[in-house]
Amino acid sequence: MSGTMYKTFDVAVIGAGSIGSSVAYFNAKKGAQVVLIDAGDIAQSTSSRSDGNVLVCDKQPGFDAIFAKASQDMFPELSRELDYDLEWKQKGSLFLTETEEEFEIASKFCQDMKECGISMRMMDQKEIQDDEPLLAKDIYGGLETISDGSVYPIGLAYGLALGAEKKGAILSLHNRVTNIEKQEDAFRIETENGTILARNVVDACGVWAPAIGAMVGLPIPIRPRQGQILVSEQTFQVARRKVHEFGYMLTKFQSGSYRRPVSERVEKHGVAFVFEPTASHNFLIGSSRAFAGEDISSEIEVMKAMAERAIRFFPVIADIKVIRSYSGLRPYTPDHMPIVSGTPVEGFYIAAGHEGDGIGLAPITGKVMADMIAGEAPFMDLSPLRYDRFFSKEER
Amino acid sequence: MGTEKGIIYDGYPSAEEIRQANGWPEEERWEKGPVAVVECVQQIPCNPCEGACPFHAIQIGNPITNTPRVDTEKCVGCGMCVAACPGLAIFVVDKSLGNGLAAVSFPFEYVPLPQKGDQVDALSRAGEFVCKAEVIKVMNPERNDHTPVITLAVPKEYADQVRTMRRLRLPEKGEGFHKAEKDEILDDDVIVCRCEEITAGEIRKAIREYKATTVTEVKRRVRAGMGLCQGRTCGKIVARMIAEETGKPMSEILGSTDRPPVRPVSFGELAADKEESDDERDNV
Repeated sequence: MSGTMYKTFDVAVIGAGSIGSSVAYFNAKKGAQVVLIDAGDIAQSTSSRSDGNVLVCDKQPGFDAIFAKASQDMFPELSRELDYDLEWKQKGSLFLTETEEEFEIASKFCQDMKECGISMRMMDQKEIQDDEPLLAKDIYGGLETISDGSVYPIGLAYGLALGAEKKGAILSLHNRVTNIEKQEDAFRIETENGTILARNVVDACGVWAPAIGAMVGLPIPIRPRQGQILVSEQTFQVARRKVHEFGYMLTKFQSGSYRRPVSERVEKHGVAFVFEPTASHNFLIGSSRAFAGEDISSEIEVMKAMAERAIRFFPVIADIKVIRSYSGLRPYTPDHMPIVSGTPVEGFYIAAGHEGDGIGLAPITGKVMADMIAGEAPFMDLSPLRYDRFFSKEER
Repeated sequence: MGTEKGIIYDGYPSAEEIRQANGWPEEERWEKGPVAVVECVQQIPCNPCEGACPFHAIQIGNPITNTPRVDTEKCVGCGMCVAACPGLAIFVVDKSLGNGLAAVSFPFEYVPLPQKGDQVDALSRAGEFVCKAEVIKVMNPERNDHTPVITLAVPKEYADQVRTMRRLRLPEKGEGFHKAEKDEILDDDVIVCRCEEITAGEIRKAIREYKATTVTEVKRRVRAGMGLCQGRTCGKIVARMIAEETGKPMSEILGSTDRPPVRPVSFGELAADKEESDDERDNV
């Protein structure tokens, strides 16, 4: 696409990651004329530096879990609907509890989650050993979530973006947005390749959403929260599905007074064991959390801590080789919930801030954003995702 | 670094690296006649030597990044593997020549070629002068595919050192290399990424239909470069294909992002390293 475009689109989605691609797809599916704009490629940043988890197990009981479950429930149909192979697998997930105290915290959590309709069950030491025979023998117990699954994250973004294109959306890639001006009946979006006019704009730029928001005068409280991952060689089946430590919840939400019995470097880098098998017989090992600006280098100390923690839970991993490490930026909000919302600037929407859940929450985010723009009632009360929750009444 | 030795520092393998790989014959085999010496130390996904040996004496197996293992009982020192190795890392050494001499055969891709009977400068792996030597054979049949194999007779004590000869004509200053032949368009069924078994056709599809414009964008779409060697082998070919398809010069095609580790390292080795230390580079 080049030169000035005089056509006015119904919806311009800025950001072609998993979220933006989904927003473009569901809007195009409703018949809207959509343009999907990105400074780079589809899935160039966070969506290609993530894992492929589609989880409800790591959500907070209540709205968070119910919203995530609604998104998860969309994957089977989506994987049939899109031409691209999403590598969708739904084998459930297993949280490991290292100590009795952790098991007790997890049991309470399990109860709360069941009350909002999530299928979970506690497993004792024997059950987890039968389930995953290569686990370290001294792991105290576990918590299974029946419906959890995984996808190829890059494939998800491609599938949605190419699916949107098939439904008539224009993909405007490698085209940076330089300015947005709200005019009477449309937004005038200035890009490197010319002007784009659109009645509605969706800011789906994740970590970079604040820069787009600033163009229309909106402060967006999203910060990059870095995470690193190790990739193994193709190897035998270490575990049959997603396995992670319950301590992950403690590092994610930074809540509670419980402290894990871990080494200094594991504690310091917010490392929690996450194992994810991939469709190509490698596995991914995570996870770490740090506020490090936009730095996405792989740090050797973090890599060591993640390897150490992985071997703690699966000793057999010690002899398997690491072939790559990578690092990405999660779009973090202060309350760990995304912003999927309209704003005081009429016609300007935000779909960003999903922290580590952007892959799993992509379908439902795209769907509710399409409903919202079409003026339809949402499937549930979405006030926890409102933009204005971060501001006091006077500021609104 | 200075004190570091080996292929990543010097551009040629150290004696220690060669002996640690699988291709150095046992002591007693040397005297029995010509034998293949495989000085392949880098664990790259590559196996033409395995197929080139008519006696099935070279084995790589799985994974394809294993360094070649030579069954020296089966090896007759025929030299078929020498021209087949894309890395020019295979030699044939015959210490049974007598008269205090040994024969060293090596691949040699510089014109003009020497003639049988010429006296030439025999050089080490580092390209340094070792001794004068006589050319006793020049082999350049069509099946060698433009990789001639030269055999020198050298004093036996230099048999483990001599691995090439000085070029007969050095390029003029600023002359650089001439391409021997034009790059040909790869057939669609040629495997470009050997680790992930991705063909040229799939890569073209990523460029033409899925709009990939960089090596990383091809990788995200079809996995080329995602395997064990992390694109060390296919990255350049993918870049060349993007250049062919888009008409952009090679110099403008972005490569993929380099990430640690430099070579595969086990989780155990990584975790065992407690503190940040000076020898970290060796481990990762």
